[in-house]
Amino acid sequence: MSSQPLVWLLGLLMATPLLAQDARQIIEEVQKRQRSESQHYEGTLEVIGGGNRIATKRWTFDRIGSFGNSKSILRFTVPAEVKGVGLLIINHPDRASDQWMWRPAIGREQRIALQDRSTRFFGTDFSFEDLEERDVAQFDFKLVGDEGGVWKLESTPRKSSQYTRSLLWVRKENYTMIKVESYNKKGLVRSIDYRDFEQVKGIWTARTTAIQDVTRNSRTTLKYDKLEYNLPLKDADFTLDALRRGT
Amino acid sequence: MMLLRLISWPYARKHLLRWLLTLTGIVLGVGVFVGMHTANQSVLAAFHETIDRIAGTTQLQVTAGEPGFDEAVLEKVQALAEVRAASPVIEATVGTDSGNVLILGVDMLGDRSLRTYDFEDTDTAIDDPLVFLAQPDSLIVTRTFAGKNGLQLNSRVPMKTMQGDLVFTVRGIMKPGGLASAFGGDLAIMDIYAAQKFFGRGRKFDRVDLALQDGLTLEQGAAKLRAALGPGFEVEPPSSRGDQFEQTSRAYTLGSNITSVFALFIGMFIIYNTFAIAVTQRRAEIGILRALGATRKQIRTLFLAESAVAGLAGSSLGVLFGIALARGMSGYIGGMLTDVYGVAQHSGALALDPWLLGGALAMGVVTSLVAAVIPARAAAALDPVKALQKGRNQALTERENRVRRWWALGCAVAAGGALVGSNNSFIFYAGFVLSVIASVLLAPTLTLWLSQALRPVLSALRPVEGTLAADSLIQGPRRTSGTVAALMLSLALVVSLGGLSRSSFASLNEWMSVALNPDLFVTTGETLTSRTFVFPASLGEGLRKIPGVGELQMVRSVRVTVKNAPVMIVAIDVHSLERRTGMRPLEGDARTMYQQVARGEGVLVSENFAHLRGARLGEVLEIPAPRGVLRLPIAGIVRDYSDQQGSLLMSRDQFIQAWNDDTVNIFRIYLAPGADEAAVRQRILDAYGNTQRLFVLTNRDVRQYITRLTDQWFGLTYVQIAVAVLVAMLGIVNALTVSITDRRRELGVLQAVGGLRQQIRHTVWMEAVAIGFIGIVLGLALGAVELYYALGIAQRDMIGIEIGYSYPVGVALALAPVILIAAFLAAIGPAESAVRGSLVEALEYE
Amino acid sequence: MIHLRGVSKRFEGKSKVTALERLDLAIARGEMVSIVGPSGSGKSTLLNLIGGLDRPTEGEIELDGEALSKLNDDGLTRVRRDKIGFIFQFFNLLPTLTCLENVSLPLHLRGWSRKKIDERARELLDTVQLSHRLTHLPDELSGGERQRVAIARALSVYPPVLLADEPTGNLDTATGHEILKLIHDLHERLGSTILMVTHDATVAESCERTIRIRDGRIVADVRNAPKEPVRV
Repeated sequence: MSSQPLVWLLGLLMATPLLAQDARQIIEEVQKRQRSESQHYEGTLEVIGGGNRIATKRWTFDRIGSFGNSKSILRFTVPAEVKGVGLLIINHPDRASDQWMWRPAIGREQRIALQDRSTRFFGTDFSFEDLEERDVAQFDFKLVGDEGGVWKLESTPRKSSQYTRSLLWVRKENYTMIKVESYNKKGLVRSIDYRDFEQVKGIWTARTTAIQDVTRNSRTTLKYDKLEYNLPLKDADFTLDALRRGT
Repeated sequence: MMLLRLISWPYARKHLLRWLLTLTGIVLGVGVFVGMHTANQSVLAAFHETIDRIAGTTQLQVTAGEPGFDEAVLEKVQALAEVRAASPVIEATVGTDSGNVLILGVDMLGDRSLRTYDFEDTDTAIDDPLVFLAQPDSLIVTRTFAGKNGLQLNSRVPMKTMQGDLVFTVRGIMKPGGLASAFGGDLAIMDIYAAQKFFGRGRKFDRVDLALQDGLTLEQGAAKLRAALGPGFEVEPPSSRGDQFEQTSRAYTLGSNITSVFALFIGMFIIYNTFAIAVTQRRAEIGILRALGATRKQIRTLFLAESAVAGLAGSSLGVLFGIALARGMSGYIGGMLTDVYGVAQHSGALALDPWLLGGALAMGVVTSLVAAVIPARAAAALDPVKALQKGRNQALTERENRVRRWWALGCAVAAGGALVGSNNSFIFYAGFVLSVIASVLLAPTLTLWLSQALRPVLSALRPVEGTLAADSLIQGPRRTSGTVAALMLSLALVVSLGGLSRSSFASLNEWMSVALNPDLFVTTGETLTSRTFVFPASLGEGLRKIPGVGELQMVRSVRVTVKNAPVMIVAIDVHSLERRTGMRPLEGDARTMYQQVARGEGVLVSENFAHLRGARLGEVLEIPAPRGVLRLPIAGIVRDYSDQQGSLLMSRDQFIQAWNDDTVNIFRIYLAPGADEAAVRQRILDAYGNTQRLFVLTNRDVRQYITRLTDQWFGLTYVQIAVAVLVAMLGIVNALTVSITDRRRELGVLQAVGGLRQQIRHTVWMEAVAIGFIGIVLGLALGAVELYYALGIAQRDMIGIEIGYSYPVGVALALAPVILIAAFLAAIGPAESAVRGSLVEALEYE
Repeated sequence: MIHLRGVSKRFEGKSKVTALERLDLAIARGEMVSIVGPSGSGKSTLLNLIGGLDRPTEGEIELDGEALSKLNDDGLTRVRRDKIGFIFQFFNLLPTLTCLENVSLPLHLRGWSRKKIDERARELLDTVQLSHRLTHLPDELSGGERQRVAIARALSVYPPVLLADEPTGNLDTATGHEILKLIHDLHERLGSTILMVTHDATVAESCERTIRIRDGRIVADVRNAPKEPVRV
């Protein structure tokens, strides 16, 4: 169902309304409108660090299943030295996802431990946790504002997370999430902007995600190419074996 | 104090050279003590520091002895609610072109929650672990290491791995400080999964470092972890690794303590000698002082103060000398410990312990004071009237001699009695000390007797010169006996240590020819002890198929803590071992013990394990293994010198099962009948040399290696022997100088009545050689006794091996000419000064 | 001042030697007495006994009212230190010390303060007219000068008794007289009791009283006619 890959994940984490019930309904509506059987895209990632140095990476992304219960495989294609490295994410509605990394050079997969999920996802401004889908039921939502055509919601995780809360902005017009700010005890950690919305197969989809790690003063933008929904993907393509095969 | 300046300083200044020689004893004794300990402590401190720096915020470490444990353990640890962060580690010391590097294999994803990686340029690729992980040749090095080797980002670093020499790429450079300063900065970080592969570790970790959730104490956390992991795992704070290392180096410290005490002891004799001489030389002065109203106490205090000052000066120099010595030795000791125990450490700066240095100073001063007590008392007791009279020095009184002899007898009897109860360590060491004291007390009497016995011999050689030389010895017993005692002690030390090494070489050779009989050894390193890398068992199957290989034994040796000591477990095919070597057990039934071990119902332990740990046949040992503690009875005690801490032989099958580890450290190969050693060796190298880090050593190579290792062990001891002999030589120079000063008048008369210069020279030379001769006779005799104790000490507290008594005749025979020549050389200077002295002055001399 | 009653001294050795045989002698305060006799007659032994350097085999010596036999070694040392000054034939100066230091030595043994020692030592050297030789070493002095330093040292605390063993024996006649004059001067000025062993008849006669010893016995004890101080 989801629209943008990573973006998404964040989406999941967030949600918001004035009346709790209303807030949850808003998020559920957001998810409903994003729903798809499967998804594929080729992402281009630019990390702009200190000194405005830009590092570029590309990957392909495939995903199958309903939100919060989906599986996805991400595989790097550029730069050459990381080509083939893959990541398999199996989300569970009731608990944290399982994640494995495939390392072709040494021919083995490696489990990403729960405790490591808050670390940065390979030099980007995402963390491993940000890649995860969590079911709406894993959060409490509260509508905290109405800024013209946009709702402002607050979500609080019920299970362990590196974040203590997040703020989400949802456009009333088409139920698209346009911004997420995530906080921990010390304050704002990450902020994500969704931009360049476009309808793909009837789904309003952001073609660009910009994420900023406030603590490191670093930005990452992710552009989605060849985005498609509802492709004929099989469950068997989202297993450890498939990860090792490297399709 | 004023007296010191007025009386002692001018005297010391006048005899500056002699005082410097005298101080040498203290300088060397204190120096060796400080040097050895400082070197040891520096190595330990460096090790502790490396542990500290590598530990980061690690609170506890999970280990299971040297073989490590399966990866699954990590998930078990991470699953515990009490654990905030846990990260696996593999450590390996690897040789590079620029010396050893400590490789830390970590999981870069999670490791940053325990360790801080402070990179020089935060935007370098390494900040992106993706490249680091995707490219297993990635290496993070420290600024220090990079600077030393001229490395930059993306520089290539060749390194020896299990897959032969590989080239790694620098993908990150750490700023100095913290982690980057561990192991003296010679540290490199590698991905742990890559490290597993390159070091042949299989899917195993050496340990898991972890931090607990806030609010938990170490004890609580450790208890939880132990409960979750079961026995066979150790859960300790990082610092406890240092303690273990400390234990392993303790045997070594004991040895250096004994020798430095001996050096001090010898130094004490030289000081005693010098003071005894000074007292006789300064009789007139003492007489004047007494006439002017100095009390006995004032005289005694004066001499004691002199010795305290001398001791302080000598000790201070000794401390400086020791520090210099430590600088040279710490690298050596560190290297040896790394070699033998496979423990990574890197000694940089010396760890100067103020307590140690202060203690050494005090030790030197006290030694000097003790040495001066008797001469000071003699000075105080001097009869002022006699002191003021010109003429001969007083000889030792008959009464003094008698008392001394009685004491000597008492000590000797007590030492003999101690032999009976020598099972008790205290009694044994007491016997050792008593025997030394007895010999020292007897020295003057024996010196006198030997001098008297020598007199006719010397007279026969040269009627005038010989007689004069002998009389000089007989009439100056104080002068002579101190020197003889010092010489005796140092020669005894040489003989006992020489005997010890000779005897242990003999035992070692015997063992090597019986037990170490395979034709070829396939190892992962140039040395047998290197355990950084291991082979997969599959290699063994390949090796068996090589033509010419008759029988192949796979040996896995790992260090595991048994009976609180880090001992070596040697897992091997026991049947094959029985067939090929069939070591005769010291205890146990040779027919059944191999079967018992093969069935996994027992272990064989080495003799030194039994001695050092007090283990008995049949005793059940608890051996921690990852799959639970093994409880195995001792089926036999065998002679095996594989390890200084002791070794346990167990069945390879049982080891594989208990440790889930079928890797191999060494393949022992027996050639098929008629096969050519060199050809088989070449075939192995051809088959695997290119794809595998592998060394093929011949039996001769291995023996040479072991002999060299043992030589190294004794190497430091030989340095100390040299020191002891040097001190004794200085004593001879000292005694001769004084003897000549004392006899200037006599020598003057001799010249005046027509003695040729050559004759004067001869008499001095003869006196020196006679002192040397007496020292040799007594020293070689005492050495025979000391050897007994040295063997005992070695067996009890150092190497735990029972070594047969065998007097080092060769060493003794070699020593005799060395000492006689040295004595002669020592006499040249004094003889020339005797010849050159003004005749008139000599005759006027009081 | 000095009383000897039945004092004998015998030396044990391979053959027994009797140095003094039951000697009785009394010397009054302020007397200047010379002791003469042939070599080995016991002169020096007598001096050593009186000076507390040695103890008699039997008999009693009383010095300034104190019985020496009742004193232990430290007691004897104290008596020596406070009441007796020694002057030796061979001066017995410490060759490595300057004149000033040599004279200071006994004062150091008494534990005086440095300042006081320095003052006294200079005063003493002034008394023997050697103020210009303070920092000289004994080797740099003439025989007479050396003996004066030794005398200055003996005077350190102005002891009531001065014992001199052949003070002129090692000097030429002229210098000997010079030293003798100095001793006479000191006697007059300080009123010390002085015992002087000598075998120079002139020296002996210059004293108020001469005791002659032979084979350990007093063979003569004469009072000399008062004379003019010896002329140099």
